[in-house]
Amino acid sequence: MSVKQHALDLDAVSPPFPYNVSAWRQRIPICVLASVGCLTAVYMGLFQWGLINSVWDPVFGQQSEKVLRSETSLAMERWMLVPDAILGAFAYLGDAIYGLSGSTRRWQLRPWMTILFGLDVIPLGVVSAVLVFMQGAVVGYWCFLCIFTAFISLALIYFAYDEVWACVRFLYAIWREGDRKLFWQIFWGFGSGRAAELASETIAQSQLLDTGGEGGAHVAARN
Amino acid sequence: MWPRVTELMLAVWLAASPFLLRAPDSSGSEAIQAYVCALIVVIASCLAYWPPTRHSRALTAAVGLWLASRAYVISPHPAPAMMQNEFLVGLLLLMFAVVPNEAESPPRSWRRFVETAPNRTR
Repeated sequence: MSVKQHALDLDAVSPPFPYNVSAWRQRIPICVLASVGCLTAVYMGLFQWGLINSVWDPVFGQQSEKVLRSETSLAMERWMLVPDAILGAFAYLGDAIYGLSGSTRRWQLRPWMTILFGLDVIPLGVVSAVLVFMQGAVVGYWCFLCIFTAFISLALIYFAYDEVWACVRFLYAIWREGDRKLFWQIFWGFGSGRAAELASETIAQSQLLDTGGEGGAHVAARN
Repeated sequence: MWPRVTELMLAVWLAASPFLLRAPDSSGSEAIQAYVCALIVVIASCLAYWPPTRHSRALTAAVGLWLASRAYVISPHPAPAMMQNEFLVGLLLLMFAVVPNEAESPPRSWRRFVETAPNRTR
């Protein structure tokens, strides 16, 4: 088969979703939200570093400062070398940086980047949100900005899961092909004629199922 | 190439930090270590622009790993500012060094299979 037949469209839809999960209009909002999370966490980190004297909190007042200077927080700082808010800021920055990296078809052409992004957003986001919601039980005080960043983490998971899911689904389809060498080549972003065929086939097959067989050939040609 | 530019700026910060953070001695071994690491990162990010050495970000990643793990291991806890700075700059270098040079385009080996312009944004 010639290369032309499998020319890949960078704006192809990504099954099971009826849109392109790696499009900029999908990813830029995630990066903006992650940047807001990063800046908020840096602000709390500046307080923990002692560079600013107070923390803004419209709801819980002085409780924020008690949370940020709690024994738990200080123990985490001793263990992790830097204040926990700064590590949180680092994780949000990672979400933004890895959200910006990759083409608009990275869920197929650079799966490792999509998976790395997913690992940063989903497991880390769940852990940080759980930690924040536990603070009331463990520390006994609440911190408005901590809760705000936990909601950002949860919103990031909501916005990012579609891309990660489309990518995992694509990788699973390749894995079931049985060729492990090809699987790892595709995973690490090495393109080949066979990889391009598989990349367009997985989209076409999924759309064939959706449309009940009609227009499948047309879809295959377009993707 | 924005990740390489960011690494370059991080290296400048690393080289300036012994003065800014009032390291015990700006000509001591801790400071010299920071200058050497910064120099390696500057060279590595510039080499990334030359096609034969376009994978030089591996060197940046190695420097990042070294800075972060060394600071973590040798630093007293709680850590002085210089150690915290080396730890964070190391982690940041590691994070940026993962991102490929032309991050917005498909990988090179994929480009002949892609029909649209690689840098198209939508």
